[in-house]
Amino acid sequence: MIKTEKILHLKSSRGRKVRVVREHYLRERVPCCSCLCQAACDNDGKVLPGDLTHYVVPDVGVVVDYLEILEFRELQGVVFTQTACQAVQHSKGRRQYNRLRNLLKDPRHDCVLFANEFQEYSYCPREKGESQEQWQTRCVYSAAVWYHNHLAGMMDIVMITEDRDAIAQYGSLNAGVYVISVQDFLRDFWPQVQAAHELYSSISQALQEKESEASQKEYSEHLPAEVLEAGIKSGRYIKGTLNISKHRPQNEASIMTDGLSNKSTDLSRGVLVDGGKNRNRAVHGDVVVVELLPKSEWRGKVTALTEGQGEEKGGEENESQPMPTGRVVGILQRNWRDYVVTFPPRDGTQSQSRNSQRILAVPWDRRIPKIRISTQQADALQDHRVVVRIDSWESTSLYPNGHSVRVLGPAGELETEVQTILIENGIHVAPFSDAQLREMPVNSPEKPWTIDPAQAAERRDLRESHLVFSIDPRGCEDVDDTLSVRSLPGGKLLELGVHIADVTHFVTEGSLTDLEARLRATTYYLADRRYDMLPAVLSADLCSLLGGVDRYAMSVMWELDAHTLAVNKVWYGRTIIRSSYQLHYELAQALLNGEEAEVPELSELGPEEKDAKLAELTQALEMLTHVARQLRAQRDRGGALELEGVEVRAQLDEQRNITALVPRQPLEVHETVAECMIYANHWVARKIQETFPHQALLRRHPPPRQEFFSQLVDSAKARGFAIDTRTNKALADSLDQAMDPQDPLVNRLLRMMATAAMSQALYFSTGLESQDQFYHYGLALDRYTHFTSPIRRYADIVVHRLLTAAIDLEREAGLGQTLANNKELEEMAQHINNKNMAAQRAQKSSTALFQCLYFKERDPQTDPSCVADAVIYSIRNNGILVFVPEYGVKGPVYMKNRDGQVVAAGPDGSCEWQSGSVRQHSDHISTTSSCGTSTFRLFDHITVRISVHSAPFHGDSLNLEVVSNKRHRSPEPQQTPSQGRSQLVQEVVRLAEEASQQAQEKKAAQRPKLSKEEREFRQSKTPNLYSLLEEVRELALMDLDTAAQVCATTA
Amino acid sequence: MAGLELLSDQGYRLDGRKATELRKVQARMGVFAQADGSAYLEQGNTKALAVVYGPHEMRGSRSRARHDRAVINCQYSMATFSTAERKRRPHGDRKSTEMSLHLKQTFEAAVMTQLYPRSQIDIYVKILQSDGGNYSVCVNAATLAVIDAGIPMRDYVCACTVGFVDETPLADLCYAEESGGVSSLALALLAPWRTDRSAADGRQAPSGPLRGSDRSCHDSL
Repeated sequence: MIKTEKILHLKSSRGRKVRVVREHYLRERVPCCSCLCQAACDNDGKVLPGDLTHYVVPDVGVVVDYLEILEFRELQGVVFTQTACQAVQHSKGRRQYNRLRNLLKDPRHDCVLFANEFQEYSYCPREKGESQEQWQTRCVYSAAVWYHNHLAGMMDIVMITEDRDAIAQYGSLNAGVYVISVQDFLRDFWPQVQAAHELYSSISQALQEKESEASQKEYSEHLPAEVLEAGIKSGRYIKGTLNISKHRPQNEASIMTDGLSNKSTDLSRGVLVDGGKNRNRAVHGDVVVVELLPKSEWRGKVTALTEGQGEEKGGEENESQPMPTGRVVGILQRNWRDYVVTFPPRDGTQSQSRNSQRILAVPWDRRIPKIRISTQQADALQDHRVVVRIDSWESTSLYPNGHSVRVLGPAGELETEVQTILIENGIHVAPFSDAQLREMPVNSPEKPWTIDPAQAAERRDLRESHLVFSIDPRGCEDVDDTLSVRSLPGGKLLELGVHIADVTHFVTEGSLTDLEARLRATTYYLADRRYDMLPAVLSADLCSLLGGVDRYAMSVMWELDAHTLAVNKVWYGRTIIRSSYQLHYELAQALLNGEEAEVPELSELGPEEKDAKLAELTQALEMLTHVARQLRAQRDRGGALELEGVEVRAQLDEQRNITALVPRQPLEVHETVAECMIYANHWVARKIQETFPHQALLRRHPPPRQEFFSQLVDSAKARGFAIDTRTNKALADSLDQAMDPQDPLVNRLLRMMATAAMSQALYFSTGLESQDQFYHYGLALDRYTHFTSPIRRYADIVVHRLLTAAIDLEREAGLGQTLANNKELEEMAQHINNKNMAAQRAQKSSTALFQCLYFKERDPQTDPSCVADAVIYSIRNNGILVFVPEYGVKGPVYMKNRDGQVVAAGPDGSCEWQSGSVRQHSDHISTTSSCGTSTFRLFDHITVRISVHSAPFHGDSLNLEVVSNKRHRSPEPQQTPSQGRSQLVQEVVRLAEEASQQAQEKKAAQRPKLSKEEREFRQSKTPNLYSLLEEVRELALMDLDTAAQVCATTA
Repeated sequence: MAGLELLSDQGYRLDGRKATELRKVQARMGVFAQADGSAYLEQGNTKALAVVYGPHEMRGSRSRARHDRAVINCQYSMATFSTAERKRRPHGDRKSTEMSLHLKQTFEAAVMTQLYPRSQIDIYVKILQSDGGNYSVCVNAATLAVIDAGIPMRDYVCACTVGFVDETPLADLCYAEESGGVSSLALALLAPWRTDRSAADGRQAPSGPLRGSDRSCHDSL
């Protein structure tokens, strides 16, 4: 190492200039990260391939301004210099720098970092009088020359710069080292990457625009960072994340503070930022610093429903009580992402007079301000959706400046809209690259995949000994869970097995597939399609536990006491299985119900053999159902909640047209399978938490905040139900009781409200929380994780790795690989949580999209399917919120329109608009007009007409309009599928109670009861083991003490 | 200072060293003829001058004299020009008093004081340029000066600082790293092994034990 000194002139804290001398060590050997290296450099990590025509060394200015272009994966062999990286850090801030770092770490990108300033021969000290830019360019050039020499001239080096002088100065200095501009570079080397060219022109336009800015101030300047820091510390300013209201994006925004630091309680509700001037160029999601306004200027949030989003009246509307209000004085961290915008049609209203190239594009997300884009393709892009990025927002400009990145397509087309949803939720699903697919094992007719004998020796073979089957939705390709159940010899013990696809065998940690899966974190299900987390060869074939083929699995097997279901022994390990039956829910339910059903696996067998096999399968299913009911009952006693979500599936025909919207129909089998999965997840959570107390990935569901329940409690009170929300057990019980015999929808709505009040379940690393925080509120389990779907969730893959490590430790084989530590695991958990939320949002928006498409094709005035029954579930001061059970749609219904007219119901119930007034009460809203008063109460059924409110710039939305205050048509014999589940649970609990009563009565005769059970459980006619088992079960339930023990062991 | 990246993804520190590399060490002994022992030590840009007088008779109050061993008197000071801003540094401020005390304790443990009853050994250390790791440089310089004075020691005392960034230990912190919010630890050790080099070969001797000390620092963390 050679020591040199760098002399810097810095400003001291008092503002004086200080001369600082820093050491700077140079070394001869700095890894060059190229596989052409002749000097045996110590290259670990990413290495540039040797078969390229050139390496690119971008200049500082290029890296700072055009990093997005260098992010294209097509551009190979990029060498980032340390000089450029430091410049990014200094001039662009942490966020941009992290982006560059991630780029360098990403193995899919062909780029490396060269520490040129630490290399003895490529370092050049700054000369006296040399400007920083000149010095940086010289450094980069000298690095390029070093590369050329180091690789012994085998590779041409291209330095790209935007500096004309540099091209002239260095262009012809060295053979083999070319200095050209970015534009020439793209034109000469990558003419086929059209997107990069467009991006280049878009960015350079935006940069030029920036230089020619007007000077009129629209906003006050942000304060410098030091002032902000000091202000936050002294308590003068408040720091928080800006959250713009969805309903009033123009005016209303609030700051969510970090909570704990609040001394005064009135700040706990957040700080309101009212109006655009006070918001001072902050965009949704930015971390901002606000200054409180004097108390006299405090305002409240508007609680009225707004009609016709976009235009807002400035008048004095009904406001809640004033809350702290402030104005933004500075922005600590911009959180700009990619936005989807729509270019408006050119109708002359645009500011053409000044500069026709500048377009104000409207973002899809209402919370984002309009973005000014400079483009030459304004005509071509009319009414197209385009991905843009914001570059800057100067205080002189009313709108932020941005540049376009990618064109999605014309607005309104299905493909464009789906892409819009994905991008707005930050989901990137590029097709799997060749390099990733090359990692995959092959399974083709010519080269079928077979089991590795080495693996077969290590794994437990369940192919012969166990009857394994799977139950999934119809047409499911990625079967990741299978079940087995059998009674062990002796009859005292049951063996329940859950066998999960062994994805980690195929996806090794750190492989490209693993990285891609980690990035996606989950399979994204949209209404009409899905984006897999793993390549199809794994998710639909080798990892999928299909029927009749040998597959690797990860198994959990319990030996349970046949009577009490107390756990005798648990076995975790890797296995080989062959699933005998691939059932779907409807088929399994039919088998259970004793109905005639055709099992495809048995269709080719002779009748006798078929019957025997069928009986065997049916018996296994019945045993499974029995076990699941017991497990469920145990959890219910602990306080497990049963919650209701709105799930609607769009049924599509071949041309992707929607034929119907179908709400999901839960069957008991769903419940059975889910229960077994919950049980497996719970036991795996126990295992990994006990083995790795500080670095296990679990899932917790924090108890909800009590204040969120107020709507639920108030609504229930309107119907005369009392809801106790103190514990999950109390909540579950009171929800079960809040059952209106006339209207089953009331219970469903109450459950939906309870769901809305819940907090989100989260993944976390056990090292970060104390053990009492591990509780899963909804499932009433002390530890829970996700283990059973590794094909579609990355968290499960992590858990599989942890479990494998735990098993290896037990066998004292030692850890094969170092496990992720607490910090890394927590980061991963955060990432997965974020992606899961994004996936949920995307799914929701795509469902909404399809709902809109469904109604768009129908004329609301004539089509009978546009008129539907709706239930009121909330009262606002100018309208009501209703739920349409038929389509699973929730939405507002206005009682007062923009002309001041109100809804008036005629004597026959039909409603029309008349002038009048609206009054809101706690449980009803009434309108008064010339025809008299009409009242709408909570949980009343009304008839609404559904139409589509189309918004060209944003997504379409559904518009509900009240038609009549009477129930729609005669109430059909409505199916209430949600009932099935709770009834069953009650059934089991009741049975248990009955059995215990009988035990007290000293074994009353139970024989006659069986006939009733037969009816209840629809037992098949043929004599089988079922009745025998039923008997055994009842005997078991008599023993109350053991039942209590079961609770104790599983709780 | 929050923006500084103390350890890059490639494993380089701010000044181009790797995590376990020390700064460049240069030393010279016997720089003053008048003193009994003297040494000048540079570790990177931290430069220290150490001077040893003694053992000699007690000066000042004789009451402090010990009948069974020698008393060690240490004084640490920084030159006005040692930092980026010129600053007068009066003797006896808290920082230098504390540093003097640390030095005194260190050398009382290392020097074989029982050989010189009723006498006194003076160690004066001055930092000429300060760039992080002042204490460890002082200890190393003072060791060299004691060796130069020919005073027997149990072993050489070697000192080094260690910082901790993202669970990676960094040896021998410079000023930018110390002020960048790193937790740091200064260690002075009596090397548990004996080198067979003579004291006269001291010019190169320090670097070996220093490496050892930094390894020990790692272990102790």
